[in-house]
Amino acid sequence: MSEFRRQHPVAAITQFLGVLRQNIVPIIIFMVVGSRNTNEYFWYFFVLGVASTLVLGLFGWLRFTYRVDGDELQIKKGVFVRKELYLTKDRIQVIDITEGILQRIFGLVKVEVKSAGSGTEGATISAITREEALELRALLRGESKTREEKEEVNTEEIINETLTWKLSGRELFLAALTSGNFGLIASILGAFSGELDQFITEENLNYLFDHIPGLGNASIFVGLVIIIFLVSYIFSFIGVIFQYADFKVEKMNNELHITSGLLERKHTTVPFDRIQALRFVEGVFREPFGYGMLFVESAGFQQKNTERSIVLAPFIKKDKLKEFFNVFIEDYEEPETQITPPNRAFLRYLRRPNYLLLIMIPITWWFWELGWVLFGFLIPATFLGWLRFNDATLWINEHTIKMQYRILAKRTAFVKKNRAQVSELTVNPFQSYKKLATVNVTAASGAGGKVFSLTDIDSEDAQMILKWTLDSNSIR
Amino acid sequence: MMELPSTRIDEKAIQAWRITSILYGLILFIIPGFFYFVYMMGDMPVLFPIISAPVTITIYVLIITLFPKIRWNRWRYDVNEQGVDMYRGIIIRKRTVVPMNRIQHVDTKQGPIYRKFKLSSISISTAATTHEIPALDDETATHLRTMISELVRKVKEDV
Repeated sequence: MSEFRRQHPVAAITQFLGVLRQNIVPIIIFMVVGSRNTNEYFWYFFVLGVASTLVLGLFGWLRFTYRVDGDELQIKKGVFVRKELYLTKDRIQVIDITEGILQRIFGLVKVEVKSAGSGTEGATISAITREEALELRALLRGESKTREEKEEVNTEEIINETLTWKLSGRELFLAALTSGNFGLIASILGAFSGELDQFITEENLNYLFDHIPGLGNASIFVGLVIIIFLVSYIFSFIGVIFQYADFKVEKMNNELHITSGLLERKHTTVPFDRIQALRFVEGVFREPFGYGMLFVESAGFQQKNTERSIVLAPFIKKDKLKEFFNVFIEDYEEPETQITPPNRAFLRYLRRPNYLLLIMIPITWWFWELGWVLFGFLIPATFLGWLRFNDATLWINEHTIKMQYRILAKRTAFVKKNRAQVSELTVNPFQSYKKLATVNVTAASGAGGKVFSLTDIDSEDAQMILKWTLDSNSIR
Repeated sequence: MMELPSTRIDEKAIQAWRITSILYGLILFIIPGFFYFVYMMGDMPVLFPIISAPVTITIYVLIITLFPKIRWNRWRYDVNEQGVDMYRGIIIRKRTVVPMNRIQHVDTKQGPIYRKFKLSSISISTAATTHEIPALDDETATHLRTMISELVRKVKEDV
């Protein structure tokens, strides 16, 4: 691939839609304002704006060319400001191939090349054919393979089914049922409810109160809360189905290939040597059934995606993790040496979730005569503390540390010693008195780090972990 | 038991930090100032400015006199071929270790106050985080920076 190529013309439309989607909030506001505005010039401006975005998309497509030269991906783009982007192979961390709905209609894919460091926002090729994308990936991954050989790999993979992990339909359904992603969606609905303000006026409400018997202020509030929860539950259910339908992980040539999605198929490639840490999260609704979600942390994406963790298994039984690691994660050894917080930390664990409550109760009570109700929360908070104490465990061996801790959901982190970037120990005066310490192990993730933390372990144990981190002689 | 790191940072740090605190500490006075302003507007009991003023002054005096000294006294670091070991903290004590072969780059930097005292700080970056050893003598800082980057190169070749 030595001469510069252009994308498929659909790229112009995807860029146009992308701009629209990014500006959806201003556009909605614009239209709401506009609909009140009787001046017809307004609509001319609006149409002009949309049209020029479309033209810009077209020019963007014309100007966007790319090629692979040697071990470098070169992209030229930009309508007003010309931009040339060079990405060398050894800096590329992850290659994502996504099939959006629009792309699927034309049999196209989007390729996102993510590299170490920031400033790589432009390495997205938004519409090329699947073959071109695969060729591009092969070139950038340094597999000097022709297409025939590639097909060989594919057949090989079918034979060797142990190297593929799939999410079954039943598991997908259960994952959707237990996702319980209310919080996020409720807040989105909350943001949208601002738009609903014009419908929820006093007149409308009074009308409702008059015409529906037994509807008081309290019941409308409770009803609204229930509706928001129900709606967000349904949204979260559908969201999970769409996102993780047909999910599969394959292991090929020292890489993990993750494919998932119903309408929008996303294909992520994670090379083994870029894996920084693994993280298993047992959601509150999943823990009782022994299931959880497995993430892989990979370093060095664009700054915006600091929180970026790649889902490696959306719904997997905890007992099956070891089996899964044996297949998909190279030389994983289950660490055996176990460290737990000593008994003298028990009361600290029970107290800790209550501190915030104890500050809040008097304040709430001051403003609201029923504030004492918050005292009732002391019991679940203490229970949470008890759970946290029981769950806080650390396992360690020569190469790997495994940290289990609970915030609300139970989390387990797996970090290899040569991927632990920094270890830290903090001691506050109360801990110092009891010879306890909090230990943090940081792994790289995205453009920043992910901190795994275990509170109130014996300070000797904490120091041992620092020593373990420093002791690089035993790496392999 | 892991021994604490042994190297101290430069003693001029106390003076430099004092001056920094004198300047930046002035920001604290916004709070009683604001209370007093609201009180003058007649919207607040006189108790607020009366209590907040001495509290602020006490804090201001503390961060100028006591804190720089404790902070300096507590700060220890060590650099060897295994990594960088840092120990610090006035109330909450923190010990951080950065293995040598995880270090990506080392910088020295110097603000106007540090420049007056011929001090520099060193920041050590990994793929995830950045750590700073403050207030080192200029020469020590330069020496340390060269030393760390050489050690990093050596260790990375070994692996």
